Amino acid sequence: MNDEPVILAFCCHYCAYAAADLAGSMRLQYPGNVRVLRLPCTGKLEVNFVLAAFERGVDGVIVAGCLEGGCHYLEGNLRARRRVERARQLLVEIGLEPERLEMFNLSSAEGTRFAEIATTMVERVKRLGRSPLRPDTKRTEHGIQEIGRQAEAMLAGEKR
Amino acid sequence: MIVADRKKIPEIRDMIKNHRRVLLVGCGTCVTVCLAGGEREAGIIGSALRMALRLQNRGDVVVDECTIERQCEDAFIDLLAPRVSDYDAICSLGCGAGVQALAERFPKMPLYPGLNTQFMGILESQGVWTEKCSGCGNCRLGEFAGICPITRCAKRLFNGPCGGSRDGKCEVHPDLGCGWQLIYDRAVNLGILGRFERIVPPHDWSTGLDGAPRKVVREDQCIAGLCSRT
Amino acid sequence: MSASATDRVKVIVDGRTAEVPCGTTVLQAARQMGVAIPTLCDYRGLSPYGACRVCLVEIETPRGRQMVASCSHLIENDLVVHTETENVMESRRTVLELLLAQAPDSRDLAEFAAGLGVASTPFQPAAEGKCVLCGLCARICGEMMGRGAVSLYGRGTSREVRTAFDERTDQCQACGACAFVCPTGAVDLATITERRMRPHITDFDKRLSARPCIDLAHPQASPRVPVIDRENCIHFQTGECGLCSKVCQAGAIDYDQPEETVHLDVGAVVLTPGFEAFDAKRRGEFGFGFAPNVLTNVQFERLLSASGPTLGHVLRPSDGRPPKRLAFVQCVGSRDTGCDNDYCSSVCCMAATKEAILAKEHVPGLDVTVFFLDLRAFGKDFDRYYERARTQLGVRYLRSFISRTYEMPGTRNLRVIYTSPGMKPTEEEFDMIVLSLGLEPSASLQEQAERMQVVRNRWGFAQTAELQPLDTSRPGVFVGGAFQEPKDIPDTVMQASAAASRAMALLAPVRGTRVRTKTYPPERDIADEPPRVGVFICHCGSNIASVVDVERVVKRARELPNVILAENNTYTCADDTQKQIKERIAEHRLNRVVVASCTPRTHEPIFRETLRDAALNPYLLEMANIRDQCSWVHSGQPGKATDKAVDLVRMAVARASRLQPLEEDSVPVNNASLVVGGGIAGMTAALALADQGFPVHLVEKTGELGGTARLLHRTLDGQDVQKFLAGTFDRVRSHKWIKLYLNARVDKVGGHVGDFTSTLTTERGPESIRHGVVVLATGATERKPQTYGFGQSGRILTQLELADRLGRGEIALPEKATIAMIQCVEQRTEERPYCSRVCCTTAVKNALHLKERHPDARIVVLYRDMRTYGFREAAYREAREKGILFVRYDTTLPPQLTVGECLRLQVREPSLGRDLQISPDLVVLAAPMIPRADRQELSELLRVPLNADGFFLEAHMKLRPVDFASEGLFLCGTAHAPKFLGEAIAQAHAVAGRAASILSRKKMPVSGQVAWVDPDKCISCMTCVHVCPYMAPRINEFNKAEVQGTTCMGCGSCTAECPAVAITLRHYVGHQVLAAIGGLLGVGTAAAPWDPLYPEQVGVATPRWGKNRGEE
Repeated sequence: MNDEPVILAFCCHYCAYAAADLAGSMRLQYPGNVRVLRLPCTGKLEVNFVLAAFERGVDGVIVAGCLEGGCHYLEGNLRARRRVERARQLLVEIGLEPERLEMFNLSSAEGTRFAEIATTMVERVKRLGRSPLRPDTKRTEHGIQEIGRQAEAMLAGEKR
Repeated sequence: MIVADRKKIPEIRDMIKNHRRVLLVGCGTCVTVCLAGGEREAGIIGSALRMALRLQNRGDVVVDECTIERQCEDAFIDLLAPRVSDYDAICSLGCGAGVQALAERFPKMPLYPGLNTQFMGILESQGVWTEKCSGCGNCRLGEFAGICPITRCAKRLFNGPCGGSRDGKCEVHPDLGCGWQLIYDRAVNLGILGRFERIVPPHDWSTGLDGAPRKVVREDQCIAGLCSRT
Repeated sequence: MSASATDRVKVIVDGRTAEVPCGTTVLQAARQMGVAIPTLCDYRGLSPYGACRVCLVEIETPRGRQMVASCSHLIENDLVVHTETENVMESRRTVLELLLAQAPDSRDLAEFAAGLGVASTPFQPAAEGKCVLCGLCARICGEMMGRGAVSLYGRGTSREVRTAFDERTDQCQACGACAFVCPTGAVDLATITERRMRPHITDFDKRLSARPCIDLAHPQASPRVPVIDRENCIHFQTGECGLCSKVCQAGAIDYDQPEETVHLDVGAVVLTPGFEAFDAKRRGEFGFGFAPNVLTNVQFERLLSASGPTLGHVLRPSDGRPPKRLAFVQCVGSRDTGCDNDYCSSVCCMAATKEAILAKEHVPGLDVTVFFLDLRAFGKDFDRYYERARTQLGVRYLRSFISRTYEMPGTRNLRVIYTSPGMKPTEEEFDMIVLSLGLEPSASLQEQAERMQVVRNRWGFAQTAELQPLDTSRPGVFVGGAFQEPKDIPDTVMQASAAASRAMALLAPVRGTRVRTKTYPPERDIADEPPRVGVFICHCGSNIASVVDVERVVKRARELPNVILAENNTYTCADDTQKQIKERIAEHRLNRVVVASCTPRTHEPIFRETLRDAALNPYLLEMANIRDQCSWVHSGQPGKATDKAVDLVRMAVARASRLQPLEEDSVPVNNASLVVGGGIAGMTAALALADQGFPVHLVEKTGELGGTARLLHRTLDGQDVQKFLAGTFDRVRSHKWIKLYLNARVDKVGGHVGDFTSTLTTERGPESIRHGVVVLATGATERKPQTYGFGQSGRILTQLELADRLGRGEIALPEKATIAMIQCVEQRTEERPYCSRVCCTTAVKNALHLKERHPDARIVVLYRDMRTYGFREAAYREAREKGILFVRYDTTLPPQLTVGECLRLQVREPSLGRDLQISPDLVVLAAPMIPRADRQELSELLRVPLNADGFFLEAHMKLRPVDFASEGLFLCGTAHAPKFLGEAIAQAHAVAGRAASILSRKKMPVSGQVAWVDPDKCISCMTCVHVCPYMAPRINEFNKAEVQGTTCMGCGSCTAECPAVAITLRHYVGHQVLAAIGGLLGVGTAAAPWDPLYPEQVGVATPRWGKNRGEE
C-alpha cells in the first residue's frame, strides 16, 4: 500500500496521553505515523501487548508514561519500564531490532517532548526500515544470517 | 516449589523449526508461580517463537499455546489428548518432570523443553527465587538449626564454616550469605550452640541423586488392581 | 424568473443532495456538506472575490459542464456540482502552476501547492515576488478594519497591492490583520506604515512572551474559555473588525456581554486570594527592569516550563543563548526592613534549590550559585533535597548578600561583588541572575480583605493566632494559603482543606439540602445482542474537517465489521447532535458508540452521559481522538492525517465491539471515624469531625490526653497553651459525638474505605468498632540526646524541658547568668539527615522568655542556619535587638562542651575565624523530634508506608499532604513530620475536611474499571499481592486472591503481572486491548467473535488455549 511505517504508542491516561493532547493544543507538528492507544496507566502494559503489536506487523512501539516518581498510580511506570526492558530482550532473541521499542517518561505539561518523541521514533524506525514481520514479507537468506549473527552477538555480550 | 527459568528463544526456535505444527504447553502449578511457564509466559513465548520463526522464513510453522493445570498429572494431560493429534511436536513449559510426563503419555510425539528447571526453592522477594533444598533424601535440618548446610553452604561443609566466610558472606559469591554464619546465628538464638562441639559424621549420600532414579512408595496407597501406575 | 416561493434552494455536490439558503455560494455549501475545496483568496467573513481561481469546480448547465470559481458562484435551484473530476483537478493544477510562477519566493504558497500535488511550475517564473494578488489584505483592511490603507492598484501586468501614492501611511493602524490573512506571506508591515506592531504581553508568562488578543488567561484557566482583551481589541476600540464573530462557527462571540453582579447567600466564606511577588523594581540595585538578563524567579519558573515561552529551554533574554553561569539572589524583598518586609517568605530557599537543579538538567554544564543568608530547608525531606543539590549536583551555595549588580556593556553579563565567610571580597561575572522575590499581599488583596472586614497584621496578611490558624477576626470568615502567611504548596493544600473543614462545621446542619439528583432511564440489557456499533465523526467546525477528509473517514467506517451506522456532525458535542445520537441509538438499536472527535480527557464524561440518557451503560462508549492527536498536529499533511484518522476509528471500533457494560457499584458508608492518638492533632481532628456531626472513636494509648503539648506553655505569639489544652480536653470529653478510649490500642483494622471494622484493646477489654475512615495522629517525641553531656548535669536541658520548666516557673538562675543554646543537636547529620523545623523558633521563643524573666542574663545561641521562617523572623529580629547573641558554627568545627565542676563551651566563629570561650550556667540543646517507637507496628497494622526517617509517608508530598495512598486513611500532626502546634492544628482540620468528603456520603461509588480475579484460574502465587501499591488484592478464606473493588484504583499493574492470567482489568481486558491493536493493522476485525462476559471463566482443569491467534 504505502511505505510509511506504523508506530503504536501506548500512552498512560494521566501524563503521556495528556501531553499528546497538549501537543495538539500547541499545534506542534510531528509525523503522522504514530497511533496512540490509551491505557489507564503504563502499569497496565502487558508484555503480550507489545509482542502482539510486533507480531501483527507494527514497525515500532512507544511506551509513554509519567515521569519517574510522578506516576498517578505510584509505581505503574516503574513496572512498565522493567517490562519494556524484558520485551526488548525478547526482541533481541527474536531477531528484531530492540530500538523499535522504547519507553519514555514525560509529564502532562510536556507537549513539546511528546512531539519530539514521536519525531525521534519515526525517524529511527524509518532508518531501520519497515518491520520484516509485516504480512507477506520474506527475508533473504543473507538477511536471516545477519539477524542471527546480531542476536548471537547481543546474547553473548549479555552473558559476559 | 520447583523453580525454573525460560530458555532463550533462539534455542527453542532451533529445536522446533523443522516441525510443521507445534503445541506449546504451559503448566499451571510451580512454574506459573515462579513466572516461567504459566499461561502468561506461554503466550509471550508463543508469540516470540512465531516471530522468530517468521524471521527465518519459517512462518509456516504453526505454534499454538495451551496451558494445563499440572503437567505431572495424567488426568490433566488427558484433556490435551484429543487435540494433540493436530500437532507434530510439543514444547513443554513444565519442569523436567512435566516434560517427561508428557513424553510418557504421548509416546509418538517429539517433546522439547522450553524451560531450564533449576531447583527447589522459595520466593525471596518479588522476582527473586533462591535455592533452599537439594533433595538429598536424608534430611538433616533438625541438626543444623533449620538451615541446610548441603544447599546453603557452597562447599556442603558439615562442621562449621571454611576460611572463606567473611563478614557473614560466602567467598564463592559475595552477595551470598555464608550458610554457616546463618546456622550459627540461629543456633545462638535458639541456645543450642553447644550442639556443634561434637564432630558431625559424614552424610549418607546413598539416598541422593548419585544412585539410580529414586522412587517413593506408599504401600498403603498401592492396592493391587486399583493403582495402575508403577 | 419570479422569486421562488421558498427561500431555500437545492444543490447536488458530488452526487449528494442538500438544501441551503438562497445566496449561499457553492464553496459554502460544499463546506457544510463536509466536502473540502482548496482556496487561497476565500476568507470567512470577507466578501467573495474569485481572484485565485484555485477553488474551481464544474457545474452542469444546459450548455454542458462549465468551470466556475466556487467561492463566488451563487447556488441556483437544483445546481449540480462536481468537485473532483479530472478536468477540475487538471485546471486547479494549472492555476497553481501559474501562481507559483507569479510568486516564486513564497514558501507558504509552495507548501500549499505541494499539498495539492504541485511541486514545480513549467512556466517561466517572475524574477521575484510573493504576492498572488488575491486581494485578501485589501479586503480585510477595507471591509473589516474600515481603513483602506492598502488597495489593489493598476491593471493587467502592472496590477499590484500598495498604499496610496506608495508612501507609508497613517491610515494604517498597525493591527497586522493584512499580514495575518495573507496566504503567501507577502505583506511587510514596514512598507505600509511608520507605526510598529506592538505585541500584547502575557501576564502569565510574566512578560516573557506575546499573546493573541483573544486568549485563555493561562492553560489551567477555569472555566476554560478564551476571553477578548477589550483594551486591545480593535472592535472594542474602534467599532470595526468583528472578524472573530464571523469566523466562529459556533456563534460563541458575544460583544454585548455585560458585567454581571451576582448576589450569593452563604453561611461561611473562605479567603484564598494568594499572594503577589514582590515588585523587583523596588530593589532597583539588582538591575531588574533594565538589565534583560536579570529575571525574577517567577519568570525563571516560566522559562523552565515545557509549555512556557521558550518551551522549557533556559535562554538569556538578551541574546537567546543558554547561560553558562547562573546566580540566584535570595531574600529580595524578604527579611528586609528597608522595604518593611521584615518577615521571611518561607518558600524561596527551596524554590531556588529546585530551580537550580532543573536549570542544571536543562543546560548541561551550567554553573549555578545561590547567594543566601540562611538556607531554610525546614520542611519534610527538604534538607535531603538541599544536600543532594549541594553535594551531588554541585550547586554552589554562598552565604553572602550581594548588594548590587553591574551590567557589563557588550556581553550584558552581570558583575557582582561579594564577601563570604572566610573569603576576601570577590568579583564575579554571571550570564544570568535570578532574583528570589518575597511573597506579599498585594494592594488589591488588602482592599478585598478590608471590604470583608478582616483584620490584617502589620504586613497586610490576614491576622490569625497560632492556635486558631484558620480563623480570621470575623466569625465565619476563614483563611487558607499564603494570604495567612507565606507558605509552600503542601502547607497551602493542608490549610485549604482545613479552612473547608471549618466552614463545613458551620454548615453541617444544612449539608445536602441543595443537592439535585438526575434520573436516568433503566439500562437496556444488551447481553444477548451482537455488537451494533454507531460511529459519530466530528468536524469540530473546521478544527478537524479542514485537515481530515471526514467524508472518507465516514466511508471507511461504514465498511468496518459490526458498524451499523456512521455519520459526520459539525459539532458532535453540541446539544442538538447529542439529541440526534440518542435518537440514532434508539432507532438503530445501537449497543456500542464510537465518537471520533477530540480528547476523551475532556469529553468522555459528556458522551458517557449521552449513553446513559439513551438507556445504555456508559462503558459502552469508545472515543477516537482525531483532533488533538491528529488534525491539530498534522495540519500540513491532510492525506496522512486522514489515514491516521481512519486507523484510529478502526482501532476504536474494534475495541468498542468488545466492550462490556460495567456496573458502577456503590458501598454504603459508615460515617464514623477512628482517630488514633490523643495529642493536639488527634483531638483537633476528632473535634473537627464531631463538630460536623460525624461520630468519632478517639483512641489514646496512655491514660492522658494532650501528648507533647502538655509540656508547652506559651506560643510565640503569647497564647496560653495549657489553657487552650484544658478547653480542648473539656470539649473532647463532653462532645456527644466523641467516644474516648484511654489506655487503649488498636489491634486490627480490616475492611476498606467507607466500611472498616477494627478491634481495640481497651481498659474494658476488647472492643470491635466500625468506621468509614482512619486518622493517624500518633505524634512524635523529642530524642534524649546522647552527646553534649546530656544527663550528666542538671544544667544541661533540651529545649522542650526548658520550655516546660520555664512555663512552670521552675528555672532558677544566678545573677548575670550565661545561657548557651546549641542548635541542630544530632540532627541534620548523616544519621538523621532532616531538620526538626521548630527548634530555631523554639530557641528564639525560650530565649525571649528567659530574657523577660532574667533581663540581666546573657544568652548565646549557637546555630547552623536560623530557620525562623514566615513571621517568626520578626521574633528572631526582636531577640537580636534585645541583645541575645547568635553565633553561627560550622559542622566541621562543632561546639565543644566540657562537663565538670562548671560547664565550659568552646566554639569557632567562622566569620572571625576565632574560638569563643563560654562558661555557661545553663546549656540548652535543640534535640531532634523523632518518630514514635511504635511506628513500625502501626505501619504494618494500617499497611501504610514510612519514609526513610521513620515518619509516615503521605500519598503525595505536595498535593496530597494529609492522605495516605490507600483510600480512607489520613494522617496529621507530627507523625507526618515535625511541625509547630498551629501547623498540627491546621493539618488536623485538613484531615477532617478530607475525611468529610467521604463521610458526608451515604454511599461511595466504586468505579467499574477495577481488577477482578477469576478464582478458578488463581493459583495463589501472591504476585498480585506483592505488586499492588494499594494493598487491594488479598488472599481470601478460600486461599484465592481477591481484589477489593473499593480499594482498587484501576491501574492494572496486577493484571499485567499475573502469571496465570487470572486477573482482568475491567474495561481494559486483554482481548479488548488486543482487538484495538489488531484494528490498527486491519487484522482480526473480520469477524469479532462474541465473547461472553468473562470468556476465560472456565473450570479448574480445562486446558486454556492461547487467545493470541484466536481472532485471526
